[in-house]
Amino acid sequence: MRQALTAVLERDTTFTGDFVTEPYEAAWAGEARWFVHTLATAGDDLAIRMVTQISPDGLTWCDLDGEEHLVTGAGLVTWPVAGFGQWLRLRGTLAGDRPSATMRIYLTAKS
Amino acid sequence: MTTSERPDTAAELRDAIRSSDPRLSKFSPLRRILAHDDFNSGTHGWTELLGNYNGRGDLSTVDDHMRDFRPPQLSSCTFFDIGTHGAMSGTYALKLATRPYEGHTATAIRRLTMSGRGLLQLEAYFTFKAEATVDPSGSDQFGDVTWDGNLHPSEAQFGCFTVATDLCGDGGLRYHTVARYLNTSLDNQLTRQWVYPVVPEPTPREHLEGKVKLGYAADFTAPNPDDWKPFGEPQELCYNEVPTKVNWHYLRWLIDTRERRSVELQVNDRLMDMSGLPVPPYAERYDSLENLLNFYFSVRTHSTVRNFLFLDSVLISTEW
Repeated sequence: MRQALTAVLERDTTFTGDFVTEPYEAAWAGEARWFVHTLATAGDDLAIRMVTQISPDGLTWCDLDGEEHLVTGAGLVTWPVAGFGQWLRLRGTLAGDRPSATMRIYLTAKS
Repeated sequence: MTTSERPDTAAELRDAIRSSDPRLSKFSPLRRILAHDDFNSGTHGWTELLGNYNGRGDLSTVDDHMRDFRPPQLSSCTFFDIGTHGAMSGTYALKLATRPYEGHTATAIRRLTMSGRGLLQLEAYFTFKAEATVDPSGSDQFGDVTWDGNLHPSEAQFGCFTVATDLCGDGGLRYHTVARYLNTSLDNQLTRQWVYPVVPEPTPREHLEGKVKLGYAADFTAPNPDDWKPFGEPQELCYNEVPTKVNWHYLRWLIDTRERRSVELQVNDRLMDMSGLPVPPYAERYDSLENLLNFYFSVRTHSTVRNFLFLDSVLISTEW
């Protein structure tokens, strides 16, 4: 039986500026997937770009790949994560006129 | 030979089997093992605590001080300087990690129910750390600690960790037994003192009824520092100088759910009598919690540095 785990890293958090999620250790996992559930948005021309980041020590971070994942309104966005190291987090940048987004961010992982 | 002098063959056989099993021989369980949690094989039901929310699943109705206790992590205890430390047994431990926000708490809770009343014991191997700081402009001083080649400022950046129960039964009577290791005071002075609360934990219903409103990062177990009282003598644990050396500590906590009190706490070689400490129950009776048997560990930072509590393994046993 494979091990599987879901962590809710942000729970209905309202972001109004750039953010990163708290470091989460997933070295045991062979694969992972982000689910970003945007519950509500505000502001004009909202664009949230999210990138997976990895870290060898939980202190220093770099982007895993060049892929940006875009949120412009409510709904669920997901993408897989492979070939990562000890830690995972999400980096998000917000663009638009007075942007605001309330988000639930899940990290799911499997051995 | 009278009946009372007859050897308890079953007990002797249990002890012999346990002592030959490397997974169990590091514990001293009571007669019946309810749970043996080795975090090399998952989180074993130790999960994040969340406050209560309304019938529409609206999480904005969760109390501010109970909405961000962070999910536990399976950690290989890896650090910037030496790489993977590993756990006491195998590679993984369960890690609770706070945010780097003064007063923030992380929890892991395990939810069972009671099939009897009487002695109940929780054992664990644990260690605790503040997150390492790697910053050329950082300071060699924090709180009342200055780096001297031995004592390290990160030790003063660790606030406290707590082991506690949430118990209910006997017609809805709810109470908590609690033990907290207060490593530092709220102003970051080393205290290294075991403490217990003299009030029950605030509840979501009290908030809903307008009796209490706690802010984000308030102490959810007992928010007023004056409600924590010392027991036992100060105890120095093995921090081992820097934030990246891990030494595992033994904890054994005996409580009595028939008497609704703690009995004793053993941490490494220190045995502390808790049998005389008050355990105040809630004034009102509770519905939907009959036979509740919850355990939680929590860690709270008193600085703007992440605090970690690592659990190698946990064992819960009973005499019922």
